[in-house]
Amino acid sequence: MPLSKQEELELKFKALALRENVLRMVKAAGTGHMGGALSAADIVAVLYYKFMKLDPQNPDLADRDRFVLSAGHKCLILYAALAEKGYFPKEIMDSYGELDSHIPGHPSMDKLPGVEANTGSLGHGLSIAAGMAMGLKLSASSARVYTIMGDGELAEGSNWEAAAAASHHKLDNLTAIVDKNGLQIGGIADSIMNYEPLQDRWASFGWSVRRIDGHDYPTIVKTLESLPFEKGKPSLIIADTVKSKGFPFAEGKAAYHYWKATKEELQLADEALAAARAGLEKALAEVKAEGGL
Amino acid sequence: MKQQAMLSAKAFEASDAPIKAFGEALLEAGKANPDIVAVSTDSSSGSGLSPFKAAFPERHVEFGIMEQGAVGYCAGMASVGKIPFYAAIAPFVSARPFEMVKDDLGYMRQNVKVVGRCGGFTYSQLGPTHHSIDDFALMRTIPGILVLNPGDPVSIRKATLALAKHIGPSYMRIGSPNMPVLYDEDLPFEIGKGILVREGHDVTIIGTGTVLCQAVKAAELLDRKGISARVIDIHTIKPLDEEMILKAASETNRIVTVEEHFINGGLGSAVAQFLSQTRPTPVKMIGIDDRFVSNGPYEGLLGQHGLLADQIVVSTTEFLKKKF
Repeated sequence: MPLSKQEELELKFKALALRENVLRMVKAAGTGHMGGALSAADIVAVLYYKFMKLDPQNPDLADRDRFVLSAGHKCLILYAALAEKGYFPKEIMDSYGELDSHIPGHPSMDKLPGVEANTGSLGHGLSIAAGMAMGLKLSASSARVYTIMGDGELAEGSNWEAAAAASHHKLDNLTAIVDKNGLQIGGIADSIMNYEPLQDRWASFGWSVRRIDGHDYPTIVKTLESLPFEKGKPSLIIADTVKSKGFPFAEGKAAYHYWKATKEELQLADEALAAARAGLEKALAEVKAEGGL
Repeated sequence: MKQQAMLSAKAFEASDAPIKAFGEALLEAGKANPDIVAVSTDSSSGSGLSPFKAAFPERHVEFGIMEQGAVGYCAGMASVGKIPFYAAIAPFVSARPFEMVKDDLGYMRQNVKVVGRCGGFTYSQLGPTHHSIDDFALMRTIPGILVLNPGDPVSIRKATLALAKHIGPSYMRIGSPNMPVLYDEDLPFEIGKGILVREGHDVTIIGTGTVLCQAVKAAELLDRKGISARVIDIHTIKPLDEEMILKAASETNRIVTVEEHFINGGLGSAVAQFLSQTRPTPVKMIGIDDRFVSNGPYEGLLGQHGLLADQIVVSTTEFLKKKF
């Protein structure tokens, strides 16, 4: 089903709420891996609000879909989504950076409900997610497993072990999303270690691959609706994204991979989110005026 | 209450292959629990998985030679309720994917049992790449992990069944050549509880795994020289049976540890770490010094590192003469 204008706006409001949550956590600690959290924000919002079968009141639901954040440093967007979904009180977001905070610099299952894997060291998440997919298949569960990886992360060889095994074992309940924001801590990802042509590489490992604009809602939804892309194959989405998407002063800049926020930047971020909210409200009013509601 | 020494009256009469003992026990465990999954990275037969694979082909998963990824897959499977037993050549499931074991199994507290076979330098001829004499040291650093190293075919079988019931990340090392049977089939086996193999009061020899039998033989030889050596089987390297070790230290005042592992970080190290802080007791550690082990026949290598029974006798006798 094509995404209605109204539903697209609703999802965008959710994504905005997630970005607001990210900013709230950065404000608490003064720092954070913001760039990659925001490049993945739109996809995470669509996954959590449209696709994944979850119950925040029952985080251990046996047949729930699983989300593994392989690029664990993007944890702010995971925490933002879990908080917004009601997995934990939003006040916890204000403890980012504090001693024994439930939201550490990389996600921990022991600290927070809804976290499915302890990631942080890169190149682990795909194996874990694929193992979940394999175990769920063995148990004849219909649950799906999603993982988000970074593009810089792809240089970890363990990913390619996991990739080969996932297609060998026909894990078509597994979807990996490469958040290709093009930048890693040291600069342009492809110039640090080139993994292009990405589509061909993944396809040659036996995955069914699609490349999309990771900020375009109708495309994201349409792509996720067509999972698995091919029966018997794991699905790979290369999402071309913009690092720090939503904070114009920081967009596309590697320096904001780990943001040490200044007062001025926080002000700009507040303004950017306020403007985004105003824009969405205006758009919603227009849809209503057109009789869309 | 006086503990009973568990050495069988028929000890050393029979021997059996450790990998076979593991494989048969895994089949038994698999029959009892449908969630158990056997995982291999090539050489499933060499890892003892053939009986399980034949009985439950759909519950055996093969990955090819990809040990890092396989550990992550095991973590994922465990997180959705499966109980993976992942068996492969010891160094390739311990040292090589160490970070995956630490993060995906240890930190994530996943119920995965990693079994390192042909451990120690039992893959003697193949050289240091295939020796695993650092696995205790590595695994001991992971909070909450269980480290087992059973020392005869009976205890390997019992350890495997105990592992199947234990919930949590685990590492078990087994050797390769046939091992003498030391225990009777009714051996009580409990994870974390050492086995009093033989009573004695002049010294305690703590043995583990593949060289436990050398420790037992050494004690018998010492007996003929008028030295009464107690033998303890520490099949659980972590958590250590502190109670039994403390009792031995108090009653015999001298401890000798015997292991097919580096002196650095192994069983002797764990025992000394514990005793130095509770009841300082002289400890003689027999194991591998700070060098790589050579290649050749297994017995020859044992001899190069003082791990044969008569060498343990000499080391122990010298140690008892020493004034502290």
